[in-house]
Amino acid sequence: MAEYAFRKINIDALEEDVLLPSDLYDPDPRGPDGVLSDAQAKSTEVRNLISRGDIPGALNAILTDPPYGEGVDEAKNLTKNALLLILNSTRASEIPAILKSLGQEQQDHLMAYIYKGMAAIGQGSDVTGSVLLNWHSQLTEVAGVGCIVRVMTDRRTL
Amino acid sequence: MSAPEVFQLSLGPLTGIAFSPDRSQVCVCPNSNEARIYTRNGDSWDLTDTLAEHDKLITAIAWGPNTNRIVTCSQDRNAYVWTQTEQGWKPALVILKINRAATSVKWSPAENKFAVGSGSRVIAICSFDEENNWWTARQIKKPLRSTVLSLDWHPNNYLVAAGTADGKVYVYSGYIKGLEAKPEANIWGDKLPTGHLLAEFRSPNGGWVHDVAFSPSGDALAFVAHDSSINIIYASGPNEPPAAHIVVKLPSLPFTSLTWTSESSIVAAGHDCQPILFSGSHEGWAISRSLDDPSSTAKPLTPTATGARAGGVGRLGNNEAFNMFKAADSKGQRGTPQPGATPTSAGLTPVGSDGLLLTVHQNTITHVEAYEWNQSGEVSKIFTAGRDGRLVVWSVTGGKGLTGRMAGLQV
Repeated sequence: MAEYAFRKINIDALEEDVLLPSDLYDPDPRGPDGVLSDAQAKSTEVRNLISRGDIPGALNAILTDPPYGEGVDEAKNLTKNALLLILNSTRASEIPAILKSLGQEQQDHLMAYIYKGMAAIGQGSDVTGSVLLNWHSQLTEVAGVGCIVRVMTDRRTL
Repeated sequence: MSAPEVFQLSLGPLTGIAFSPDRSQVCVCPNSNEARIYTRNGDSWDLTDTLAEHDKLITAIAWGPNTNRIVTCSQDRNAYVWTQTEQGWKPALVILKINRAATSVKWSPAENKFAVGSGSRVIAICSFDEENNWWTARQIKKPLRSTVLSLDWHPNNYLVAAGTADGKVYVYSGYIKGLEAKPEANIWGDKLPTGHLLAEFRSPNGGWVHDVAFSPSGDALAFVAHDSSINIIYASGPNEPPAAHIVVKLPSLPFTSLTWTSESSIVAAGHDCQPILFSGSHEGWAISRSLDDPSSTAKPLTPTATGARAGGVGRLGNNEAFNMFKAADSKGQRGTPQPGATPTSAGLTPVGSDGLLLTVHQNTITHVEAYEWNQSGEVSKIFTAGRDGRLVVWSVTGGKGLTGRMAGLQV
């Protein structure tokens, strides 16, 4: 059995220039309060758009400047719930056309939310796995595996 | 378009590779602590020398085209400069003063110094010390916070660009006082003391930076990052924000290496296993084509990186085993299904019915470099090496015009 205890030593403990999580991305310029009020406004807007049947508009609105980073959990939750509501109320046949109308940045954000939705299954989330998997497969076809890689790499967690 | 030349140099990955000035020899590290020099013999390569001095994996090799010196760097925190003598290749010690692995090494264009990147968050600019007969390093530390993964020299021999594991790219002055004439102001900066930071950029989605490269003129800088992006930055002047920072996000897996073939074209390759040619200018950049050309092979090879297509999902979508289980599940069929026709989703590497990739490289490409230039100074051939142990020489120009066939000038 090889000696491996040394691998658990925190070699950065005595280092001054340690890389911090906050060095890895720029904070949201809107600030936590601005992000929250933005998320609330968008959540209401999305509900209105869904009731009028404008799914592409709703998805477009919610995927523009979503909240990211630390200290904005409430805004993140609001956005996630609004987004899952959109995913649930879309007919499967409409998905490809909707996805193609999104910008590349929005497709990346949507992929992140799909994974977030998958993580929430079984924790009181009202979205089912088959809905998410269907969106995931359709999105991968349109945006490619590069989209998944970007979600995994991005430190600005949604 | 002439078919690529393929050589299987090793069964395992090639971790470092560099060609001799006249392209008759190649120095590679077959994922070990030894570098091997092979000499070209017709269509094969014969082992002629072994450079054994490192005790751990060699991470990078550079061969100076004018001075015919090889520099190797390794995870053992050392670098050696190898000089050819009548008794074979002799190593000279480099005092790097780093406490983590060295990751990358590049000769400066004038070959009077070289830069070494390392895991100890420094870039060592090394020059020869006549008195002690060894190479000494001047370290660039600020504001590096993570491993330096890649380096490239500006053609003016003074500036060095570095890509790091925290997704940043820096441009520094690599000027060494006493070694060379004082640099003049250029488009990247006007004050150039050693280690002075001139510019800093970030990858769009925070992916770590695999490779950086200055354009032939040195006015533009390109880098590839792990967020499947290729970035091209045009400098505008000292202390000014860049004139343009162009980001191309790809539908395919990330690139790990890139090289400029002219002022308006780049070849990049990586986890997608095929070299892709990009072209563009200040206005924007786009994929031009894959060098792994479908029309030159009998197999239906499809460079899927170039766009979206309809069909199944996932890397398995075109895999025989996957299709077999799928048929058994949906139709109750057993036995071999029809060989998968074309790859399915956007950005997928095509897989043949035999399970092998339809690309020439069978695994991630880790090196892309210029191999041959034409009369106008543009790169006409490049070589790639990868984790499949293959070395491939590709023609970049060619296609329809005469330019490809006229290539004969070696630099």
